[in-house]
Amino acid sequence: MNRLDCRYTFAGGLAASLLLAADTALATQTHGQPEGLYVHQMAHIFFIISMGSLEFWLRQRNLTREKGWKYIQLSAVLFMLWNINAAVVHFMDEHLSLLGIAKIDFWHMQIEIIPGQEGLALLYYVLKLDHLLCVPAMFFLYYGLKVISKNNRRAAGSDPMP
Amino acid sequence: MIISSIPILFVDLVGPILMIVLSLLSLRLVFRLRKQDSNNLIWTYLWWICLALSCFAMSRSAGHILKNLLLMGGQNQLWAAIRPYSGAINTFMFIVVGSVTLFFERIWKIYQLILKDRGEIRAAHKKLLFLNQNLERLVEERTNALSISEYKFRQIFEVSKDMILVAGKDGSIVNLNPSGYKLLGLNKESTDIGDRNLGEFISDPESWQAVMDTVHTEGSVSNMELDLTTSDGSVMRILLSGSRTEPSDTVEETIHFLIKDIEQHKLMEEQLAQADKLASIGELSSGVAHEINNPLGVILGYTQLLLRNEKDNSERHGDLKTIEKHVRNCKSIVEDLLSFSRKSKTEKAPADIHQVIEDVIVFVQHHSDIENIRIEKQFQSQIPPTMIDEKKIKQVLINLLVNAIHAVGKAGHIIIATGLKPTRDWLSVTVQDDGKGIEKKDQKKIFDPFYTTKPTGEGTGLGLSVSYGIIKDHGGEIEVESKSGLGTTFTFMLPITPYTQEN
Repeated sequence: MNRLDCRYTFAGGLAASLLLAADTALATQTHGQPEGLYVHQMAHIFFIISMGSLEFWLRQRNLTREKGWKYIQLSAVLFMLWNINAAVVHFMDEHLSLLGIAKIDFWHMQIEIIPGQEGLALLYYVLKLDHLLCVPAMFFLYYGLKVISKNNRRAAGSDPMP
Repeated sequence: MIISSIPILFVDLVGPILMIVLSLLSLRLVFRLRKQDSNNLIWTYLWWICLALSCFAMSRSAGHILKNLLLMGGQNQLWAAIRPYSGAINTFMFIVVGSVTLFFERIWKIYQLILKDRGEIRAAHKKLLFLNQNLERLVEERTNALSISEYKFRQIFEVSKDMILVAGKDGSIVNLNPSGYKLLGLNKESTDIGDRNLGEFISDPESWQAVMDTVHTEGSVSNMELDLTTSDGSVMRILLSGSRTEPSDTVEETIHFLIKDIEQHKLMEEQLAQADKLASIGELSSGVAHEINNPLGVILGYTQLLLRNEKDNSERHGDLKTIEKHVRNCKSIVEDLLSFSRKSKTEKAPADIHQVIEDVIVFVQHHSDIENIRIEKQFQSQIPPTMIDEKKIKQVLINLLVNAIHAVGKAGHIIIATGLKPTRDWLSVTVQDDGKGIEKKDQKKIFDPFYTTKPTGEGTGLGLSVSYGIIKDHGGEIEVESKSGLGTTFTFMLPITPYTQEN
């Protein structure tokens, strides 16, 4: 038997043994519930970074001297704060065993907390109102775009960009 | 801790609705902006941001609203089924919004480059448009400007009194202005300068070589004094400057020469130097002559007194006569020196210059052996009588005529001519001989006292210097022109001063 035949025999034997000996350990990895949460939290962090970079470059390029871009900068800052807020709420919801939330009726809820940590419950309650950050962020984006659009029309043919 | 859920429920219901509304409004604004300028990269970028944010807002808000509605309706299980999808879509939209946002810096840089390029293209387009519309006029203006410039420089070339010569790198003449033709003695119509070289006209080949070497090594040469031999063989002194021009694609290497004729200037300088020198010698001579004249008078007086008491044939009488003769010679020299230095008094009276010349010719013919010498008279008949010291002018004429006779030797031809210089109101007298001439080196010294080329004992060297002094004393000029072997011409000029009561 020459060397080439030896090689073919070895490769064929290996392939057959792998296929015949298949088990769950060799299947695709499963993704349990915590992974989704981690991905979501990472997405929040990514969102914070991207909004931070936008805010940085707007300042760096002196675009914030213009009113429209100034509002967009403010929008970026609010989105960053909202992301922090949301990430903290998710953390408190999923990771800490300090809190326990129970619905009493439609109009009331109960926050169970270790005695002496009432402030944390209050913080959780306030952070739950996260739309108070993301709605203004969206509003300033809209308003900034409105100002830019207005300036663009006023420029009438000339470029509104600095 | 029991707490009201109303604020959270309210914010959780109203907030998502506002998010959707605001995101859609933003999207509409950017849509309009894009519609206005679809090529604007920033609007496109904002469009993508708003689109991503709208999707994010809708996915999140829809999830929130649905959650609240299902929970209120007791559909907890249904929500539990929908929740993972809602959360996943929400997470995905986060990532999309963040990703799009991160491109801002790159988009902005590209946009600035586009703006810059667009500006340059616009400027180029504007320039092209301008050129296209005004090309004919611009060409005409440029042509006119070139014509004016060409005319201006052509005028400088044509009108210049100095020679302007353009030569090849070997000195061959390429172009020559009219003054150049005149200076070189060339005829513009009949001469082809194409095969001539400036070096042919420079008298000293070594000097010409030095000029060319300097031009080629240093690029230029300035104010070099050279002798130039014209086409008729006469030599003149020139001041030469030249500079080399670097060759280009269309023009070969050339050398531009500017040549100035300084012959007249040099002659004037030499004449001034000569006049200064003679004036200095005159001052010295007059001082010496004055001091010697008185003792000579005393010696002559006492010698003559002693002679009275001596018999004619005695030895002492002979000695005293010798002393008297030499003292008289000395006195004659002293008087000549005084004449040269213009210290002796000039007594002017109206006289006819032709009569004076006639007298001198008769006097010379009686006192010299000039049988084979022909003296020709060429008189200008319109010369009026003028105020001169007749005796002294005769002395000048005798000196010049005697010199001419000596120059021609035993046979020859002498011309005495008179003339008028109407522009200056002067008369001129010329004594021209065809004798041996005066060497160029001697011409500068002939008016110096005691300078003579005659053998010792034949001349004192004072004749011409005395003549010089007399003419200067009359306010005139005397000059000589001579070529060795061809003859000499002496010319003196006197201002014509008619007789009046005042003079």
